[in-house]
Amino acid sequence: MNGQDVTRRNFMTRAVIGIFVFIGAVLAIPLGGFGILPVLKKKKPEWSDTGSFVDLVVNEPQERRFLEIVKSGWLEEKQERSLWLVKRPDGTVTAFAPNCPHLGCGYRWFADDRKFKCPCHGSVFDINGKVLAGPAPRPLDTLETQVENGKVYVKFETFQLGIGTMIAA
Amino acid sequence: MKLIDWLDERIEIRKLWSVFADRPIPGGSNWLFSLGATLVFIFTLQMSTGIFLTLYYAPTPDHAYASVKFIQNEVPFGSFIRGMHHWGAGAMMVVIALHVLRVFTFGAYKKPREVAWLLGVILLAIVGNFAFTGYLLPWDQKAYWATVVGTNVAGTVPLIGGMLLKIVRGGAEVGNLTLSRFFTIHTYILPWSLAILALMHIFFVEHAGPGGMWNAVARKPGFSEPLFPNQLFKDSLVMLLVFFLIAAFALFSPASLEPQADPTDSTYNPRPEWYFFFVFQMLRFFEGKYEVVGTLVLPAITCVMLYLLPFVDRDPERAPQKRKAMMALATTVVIAITGLTIAGARAPIVNAPAVTSPSVLAGRIVFDKNGCSACHSIHGKGGTIGPDLTHVGNKRNRDWLIRHFKDPQAVSPGSIMPKILLPEKELNELTDYMQSLK
Repeated sequence: MNGQDVTRRNFMTRAVIGIFVFIGAVLAIPLGGFGILPVLKKKKPEWSDTGSFVDLVVNEPQERRFLEIVKSGWLEEKQERSLWLVKRPDGTVTAFAPNCPHLGCGYRWFADDRKFKCPCHGSVFDINGKVLAGPAPRPLDTLETQVENGKVYVKFETFQLGIGTMIAA
Repeated sequence: MKLIDWLDERIEIRKLWSVFADRPIPGGSNWLFSLGATLVFIFTLQMSTGIFLTLYYAPTPDHAYASVKFIQNEVPFGSFIRGMHHWGAGAMMVVIALHVLRVFTFGAYKKPREVAWLLGVILLAIVGNFAFTGYLLPWDQKAYWATVVGTNVAGTVPLIGGMLLKIVRGGAEVGNLTLSRFFTIHTYILPWSLAILALMHIFFVEHAGPGGMWNAVARKPGFSEPLFPNQLFKDSLVMLLVFFLIAAFALFSPASLEPQADPTDSTYNPRPEWYFFFVFQMLRFFEGKYEVVGTLVLPAITCVMLYLLPFVDRDPERAPQKRKAMMALATTVVIAITGLTIAGARAPIVNAPAVTSPSVLAGRIVFDKNGCSACHSIHGKGGTIGPDLTHVGNKRNRDWLIRHFKDPQAVSPGSIMPKILLPEKELNELTDYMQSLK
């Protein structure tokens, strides 16, 4: 094989590899975007009607259930949600997200102890959501509320768990 | 130690590569030999785009259409990926036809390559089935109706036709079970079958050695080139060209999505995709009791002929100029299929396409806004107090309609229809809509 043949062979070898890498790279962009970009889209929280205002008793947390319309891809579904509402003496309403900020278990209000307690790893919170005991890394997450026409509206959203700051999921 | 040396010590990777790469092609590499490799490339494209499409696709009739619409309109690059898959299928059909033609012309089905040919015929059938099953998945009008007709063809087989139809459809009708059946076939059964058979096909081609040019011995005695990089260089350039073509089509002519499947719509004109036009046209020729000739006899004869080719034609001669009868047969088939495809494309549309003149559409809105369907029915929807208006365009002329709208009692004494007091423009639009109901 003379010198010319070797360079020709090298060129063709490089060309073949180059073409395969090029096609692979060009395809990787739309395929990757297709699979990953939709999950990065931030969900815009909407107002949900969580029930009447007058039924709330000052400083007595109440668990409320409501139906949220959730759009999952191309499907719109009614998803049942729950949260805790606390009416304050000044008339405002605090809404706590239903999942413990440690690892997401549902916690409950214990009226005799006057504390929120999580059944999974022993986190305990006071009526303001402050951590009294347990591994919870931050206080209970609060949701934006609005009282209108005797109804309590809440902007329901979920948050990242197991970290010290409240960041939307 | 370099990775390649580590692997070579354990699995003789250099030898494995050499068996594949250094294989000599008698007569040298040729652009025509790239067709097979291009098929492998297109299959890889279809696999990757197809797998990603199933990330969002839902294979049930109540969600399939919405999920495809979501992919098409909302997922980033969704239209492009779907377009690649759609045009990739078309490209596969073109390239496989060219590949079969090339192999036939080069006599590469003859001894010792018969096994590779037989596997190839099965692969051709698999590719056809890929297209047929994939077609139904978007569950739009085109998908649904083409499948109704296509599966009915199975029903025309004598004796077992009825049973065959039910097995293919998963029941008597094209419905939920048909869709899940077709989805399973398209995404599980066929990909595995094709991958395994294609590997075997390639292995046996390698094993027998490529035939190369038929006059390899005569042209330049002893001349041959290795598969890598010479043939693969040509192959990769063809792959690049095909890739650009498919991507260009996907970008500038996105895959269509018709309205959602409507089994009650008798105004629709069912048509298969262009690569099945020749079958579609054949079905138009054979009427009544001869239908089975078009649906079963001719396809069966073709399959059998393809399969028996290496046994019928045992003459070792491979040069096309010395195989005039065979080449004449091939030419006839190519011309016939091409002609049937063109005729199929031009087949007259029986149902007038749905009228979409703006005035008629506006008239429909006027009809709905004024609550006319409380008393009148159109296509089975509405009240029965007044006459059915489904074919009113055939019964009343424009003049009568307008006079009637303005004063029903003057034209139809005893009528309880209220006077329809509308601005001139809306009255005309409403009348246009009435006249379109034929």
